[in-house]
Amino acid sequence: MGIAQGDPAGSSRSGNRLTRFVAADHRYVFLGTSAIALVGMWLSSQPRTEMSFLAGVYALEVVMYYLLFAWVVVSGVALLNKLIKWRDYASTSPFVRPGARKAERIASYVVVGITAVLFVDRVVMGFIAVAQAAALSETNPQGFLPGMVYMLFAGKDIFIKGIATTVQLAVFGTVIAFFLALLLVFLRLQQIDRPDNDLVRFLKVVGCGFAKFYSAVVRGTPMMVQSLLIYFAGFAALRGTGMSTTEISGIWSTFVAGLVTISLNSTAYMMEVLRGGIEAVDGGQAEAARSLGLSQWQAMTKVVFPQGIKNAVPALSNELVVNIKDSSVLSVIGVFDLMFSTTTVAGIYYRQLEVYVIATICYLILTMIASKLLSMLAKRLDAPAKGPVLSTSDVAVTMGVTDSVRPAGANASHNNKQER
Amino acid sequence: MAESAQEPVIRIEGLRKSFGSHEVLKNIDFEIMPGEVVTIIGASGSGKSTLLRCLNLLETPDAGHVWFRGEDLAAQHVNVNRLREKIGMVFQGFNLFNNMNVLDNCTLAPVTLKKASKAEAEAEAMRHLEAVGLAEFAKASVTSLSGGQKQRVAIARALCMKPDLMLFDEPTSALDPEIVGEVLSVMRNLADEGMTMAVVTHEMDFAKNVSDKVVFMDQGVIAEMGEPNRLFTNPEHPRTREFLSRYLEDTQGASATA
Repeated sequence: MGIAQGDPAGSSRSGNRLTRFVAADHRYVFLGTSAIALVGMWLSSQPRTEMSFLAGVYALEVVMYYLLFAWVVVSGVALLNKLIKWRDYASTSPFVRPGARKAERIASYVVVGITAVLFVDRVVMGFIAVAQAAALSETNPQGFLPGMVYMLFAGKDIFIKGIATTVQLAVFGTVIAFFLALLLVFLRLQQIDRPDNDLVRFLKVVGCGFAKFYSAVVRGTPMMVQSLLIYFAGFAALRGTGMSTTEISGIWSTFVAGLVTISLNSTAYMMEVLRGGIEAVDGGQAEAARSLGLSQWQAMTKVVFPQGIKNAVPALSNELVVNIKDSSVLSVIGVFDLMFSTTTVAGIYYRQLEVYVIATICYLILTMIASKLLSMLAKRLDAPAKGPVLSTSDVAVTMGVTDSVRPAGANASHNNKQER
Repeated sequence: MAESAQEPVIRIEGLRKSFGSHEVLKNIDFEIMPGEVVTIIGASGSGKSTLLRCLNLLETPDAGHVWFRGEDLAAQHVNVNRLREKIGMVFQGFNLFNNMNVLDNCTLAPVTLKKASKAEAEAEAMRHLEAVGLAEFAKASVTSLSGGQKQRVAIARALCMKPDLMLFDEPTSALDPEIVGEVLSVMRNLADEGMTMAVVTHEMDFAKNVSDKVVFMDQGVIAEMGEPNRLFTNPEHPRTREFLSRYLEDTQGASATA
């Protein structure tokens, strides 16, 4: 349908030769499907694996192969015909008749279908065969793919534990950091207000200074260093109370230290994100609230913060993705996260590249899931507020005012329409 | 309307304000009597908006006094929040709270400041919304309103605090000419009800017909101040004459046709 309609319009509208060639080319049906057919033929020439379901029906595959071959020949003739007589191809060629077009379209579906079957038979089933063999293997197979599958299966408990720890660290860390960042950004945005007494002024200056200092220190040092510092500082502090090393390890586990690190680290970044969102709120909003007599605190909590946080939601949610990735550095203090489990598996089998590919894929899947969920959340938060957009009554009010003294009178007709 | 025996609502003495090295207000003195409508006119940059914003301390004056209800707003440590409750302000850019609906915009301040219960505040707000012709939009999101509707909501919001004085900072400058009328008529009604108002505006018709006193500002000083009839027909100061020249011609042309 699209082909038949597109043709005359395209050729008549543009004088450009190339455009006319492309437009009259059945939208690349011949060119595109013959390439697909060639891929199918190549797949058919590949050796079968043991999982191949076409192995039992050899005759069928021969038929499929020759159908593809026939299509390539037909396409070749058609394209040659077009190249030779491109000027009056649209009117003379037998390939452009409506009946022929229909047949070509059906044939192109068949070609794509055959290639898809061959793809499943050779590539998908081949991969399953390799994976199954590797998973059931007694020893670590030599090849890259079999080795990867073997180690994934053999080390699946380790990987699952690592993934679970990484997700916990990222999710809890981000949530804790969000609330800490709310507190910190509140300190950061304090300004001296006229009714403040000297004590309040002093506290505000100290609070704002602390927030700036905290942000500078945390954002200016690597998280790996922070994790080591926090872990050993916590250890030293607890040792000061006279506890034994085993007792300390019970309370101050690497996981707890890791969670503290990631929360405190993320707090600084989230604070800056929140600050950006809040400072993006029009200054008039706070001014209007202040002009009504609200204090700075009331204006912030009731008017500015809700809007600022909403502004910051996309960037805040990005912090979860960042934390999933950045939690990998916590493996230096021995947190059993995905990175730690990966190096563990690599150590067991003395195979590095394969397991790091596994880790890469796992991190990628985690971050993709996280960003997908978060974008859904952000969309929900940004849902347009319910309320009438009564453009017609808007006009009525505007017009009514010009000829009536009281604008309230202008709405009378509209009010009657509603339940009044 | 202004009786001589009464105390002024707000009195300004020796007000000065600079932004950096640029002195915007140079020694301003004037007062607004109860029930008086004062319009402040002048060229852009003459300091009229800054003067208005000094009246409720949105700009902090460098020197001088702003006497309101027996207290000097410009003094250190005075509770500005409490005094601001009684000074309503309407902005050029509406500044409605975007995170709330129309009704919540109006009730936020009375409820937060414990001036009224939620139900009382809502009843009061509905009364004011009805007066500006927007009662049916009470539950609408402010972002769905037109500019004129937003400005009328802003007026209703300010009135919900039962102010002694209303400040209007170019309330119609962000509106297209067709909509200006609906806001001005609301302001006119307010003036008729006896509200004390200070209006910075470029709407000369409003200044001439509604106000009791017109203040013409030029380069940070009050160049001329007086009754609108006198100021618009016989301005004394050369700058006033210059500023109003086009307008004076217009009215003469208009009266000739009328």
